[in-house]
Amino acid sequence: MGTPETITMEGITPGQEFGEVVFGPLEKVDFVRYAGASGDFNPIHTDESYARRTGAPTVFAMGMLPAGYLAHAVTDWFGGPQNLRRFKVRFTTRVWPGDELVCRAHVVSIEDGIVKTTLEVHRRGSGPEGLDLPAEEMAIVAEADVELPE
Amino acid sequence: MAESHLTFELPVERGKVREFALSVGEDNPVFFDVDAARAQGLPDIVAPPTFTVTQIWQISREQRAAQLGANLDYERVLHGEQEFVYQRLPFAGEILRGTMRISKDFTKQGKRGGEMRFVTYESRFVDVQGEDVLTAYYTLIETAKDVG
Repeated sequence: MGTPETITMEGITPGQEFGEVVFGPLEKVDFVRYAGASGDFNPIHTDESYARRTGAPTVFAMGMLPAGYLAHAVTDWFGGPQNLRRFKVRFTTRVWPGDELVCRAHVVSIEDGIVKTTLEVHRRGSGPEGLDLPAEEMAIVAEADVELPE
Repeated sequence: MAESHLTFELPVERGKVREFALSVGEDNPVFFDVDAARAQGLPDIVAPPTFTVTQIWQISREQRAAQLGANLDYERVLHGEQEFVYQRLPFAGEILRGTMRISKDFTKQGKRGGEMRFVTYESRFVDVQGEDVLTAYYTLIETAKDVG
């Protein structure tokens, strides 16, 4: 994607949809890379045998990894990270190796020069063996407020 | 609520910013290329929006518990929510100073019975002039004892 296109208030209307943008499929090494970059070394995300001992079928992603991808998507849609004023994520299910991340945004309103949006990340994939997961389900529900030039 | 808090520094370094940006699949040059960032009027490359979560991992659970309280049972704890409110993004080369405290601590009835506890750690980041840069809210959920 590179540098996002400039976007102004004129290009935005309530009800407008952005996406879908798909990242992945995620690999275990992506969790290792994020562990190193973030400092989150909870072994449940990187150590297969540790994860199994806790009852999980395999390692799963740190929530902030898909959240980071979603921040990437939203800042690309809305003209770059400098425009972001608020970003809030709520985690609703785990993300597994092999999952794709499907990101979408919905413009809710424009108030005092701020575009208010709701966002979603779905995990899409067959999931690890031993879990009977839906092929696609909501993994993150989020909100972003963005300030755009007139 | 007790007004316990802890303070920290978060140096924002080019190498760590680039490493973090790569780990979340970023490809916007504003995170990697100083000239591209300066062409947009920024002093240096900027940190991705979720970068300051790295601060959480620089403070141990034990230190957090000792200085802020909460006494969570980490066998039952999930990262439930995360929020950032931005005045601006941090840029490489600056050292942010932060104050962390518990801003919310409440329980509610879980859907499958038992009490769930929500604890929010607020980290307020200021720059060298003492101006607000951003505030992060890290919310942990302690699930009910009798629910897997």
